Amino acid sequence: MHTLKLLSAFFKVNVQMALAYRADTVVNILLNLMWLGWELLSLSIIFSNTETLGGWGIGELIALLGVFRLVNTLMIALVWPNTEKFNQSIRDGSMDYTILQPVNSMFLVTFSRITVWRIWDLVLAVILIVVGIHMAGDVTSPIQILTFVLLAITGTIIIYSLWIVLIALTFWFTKFDNNVTILQALMDAGRYPVTVYPVWLRVIVTFIIPIAVATTIPLQALRGELLSGQVFMYIAISIASFWVASIVWKAGLKRYSGASS
Amino acid sequence: MFLIIKRLWHVNWAEQWQYRANLIMYLLYWLVSPIIYLAVWTSIANVKGEVNGFTANDFITYYMLLLVVDQITSNIVIHTFGYKIQDGSLSGELIKPIHPMLTNALVNNVAFKMLTIMGLVPIWIILFFLYKPDFSSASLAGILLAIPAMLLAFFIGYLLSAAITALAFWTTRVYSIHEFYFALILLFSGQFVPLTLMPQVIQDIAQYLPFQLLIYYPIQLILGRLSIEQIIHGYVMSFVWLGIALLFFNWVWRNGVKRYSAVGA
Repeated sequence: MHTLKLLSAFFKVNVQMALAYRADTVVNILLNLMWLGWELLSLSIIFSNTETLGGWGIGELIALLGVFRLVNTLMIALVWPNTEKFNQSIRDGSMDYTILQPVNSMFLVTFSRITVWRIWDLVLAVILIVVGIHMAGDVTSPIQILTFVLLAITGTIIIYSLWIVLIALTFWFTKFDNNVTILQALMDAGRYPVTVYPVWLRVIVTFIIPIAVATTIPLQALRGELLSGQVFMYIAISIASFWVASIVWKAGLKRYSGASS
Repeated sequence: MFLIIKRLWHVNWAEQWQYRANLIMYLLYWLVSPIIYLAVWTSIANVKGEVNGFTANDFITYYMLLLVVDQITSNIVIHTFGYKIQDGSLSGELIKPIHPMLTNALVNNVAFKMLTIMGLVPIWIILFFLYKPDFSSASLAGILLAIPAMLLAFFIGYLLSAAITALAFWTTRVYSIHEFYFALILLFSGQFVPLTLMPQVIQDIAQYLPFQLLIYYPIQLILGRLSIEQIIHGYVMSFVWLGIALLFFNWVWRNGVKRYSAVGA
């Protein structure tokens, strides 16, 4: 309950911020629509030259684009703004105040800044997924949809854990502003199914920067291509990575001594 | 003048060198999308044998040249200059007797480019061994023709970006305008796919826009894919667009600075 109250307070503050810069919000939504148009155009260019891409049809690629935008939106709305704030708080020492709060510091660092208008982008992403699956003509059972949602969540948790580890490294290196640029860069690889990539790139986006775990794999579950053993493996990996991330975070906090001292 | 440029070079080179970790991140960031498109198109070409006359090797050579050409012709003036207008740190540069955008910022861009190209070389060699492209259609004559074309393209691109950056004199949302400009480049320059695979409408429009000069035209020159008429057409377009870009930049800058001194200081 306490956590929910905090979240809604964060949300309210961020809505007010978005309303303060209304023109900016409108321009951003228009730009976002433009990029969606470009993404659909690029898919249509690809599929005017071929029927399948890495074994997937256009409907599946549209659904994949939806999943990609779902994860990407969470990144843009939550992760990037908070990273910026976090990096600054390490440099100027305002991290002190975060640690003093009687709430989990990892939670505070993650959710205090939200780009609120991105919520409509989540709706768009869900529409893309539904339309894509419909176009692909896949017969999906409720259990497949359930595993899809579950694996999308576990994938997001894995990426989130990686992010926590990356920003926690700032406790050791102090000046580490580029901590998540690499994450941001490789995110783009999630737009297409990993089956099209050469092996070395597939290894990177599955194991090192596991964007594929949050995009390609949930969709594979939706298409009924995963074995139940694999599903449990991904769930176990996500729990393990979250556990590792919180250990690294705590170790980092111990290293932190404030900017002035 | 030469002495001033030399001094500016020393300062900017030292500055860029200091941020080399940043630079490597930038380089990786910028490498990702061409490599993704390369993977997507070669996988299609491998399945189908060829895509509208493009073999897998054609895509590999195209995107590997794109990595180099894009690095030479692109610029980062929006990132290194945009904030100077907004936070007022431009004032100090304006009272100097040299043009801030056409000297200091330009030299800064070239220093940045030199360093990223140094970083690109080893990565390019690794990609070369991974993909083993067959560059037999590239010729020395093509490369020699492409060098002046890329220089012209760099100046066209630089002046257009500089003009857009200078729009910050009027609006604070210059990054949004720049994002729109960036989308035009993506659509019309051949960055996503060789232009001949784009819908006919886009190809027709691209003929008259400056964006294909930045990427598509130099690559085609190097690969020896153009007829004499097309080569001439490209060079004529380059000079025409250089003229337009110069006029546009000059107009924006002059009026912008007037506004700036009226509001800022």
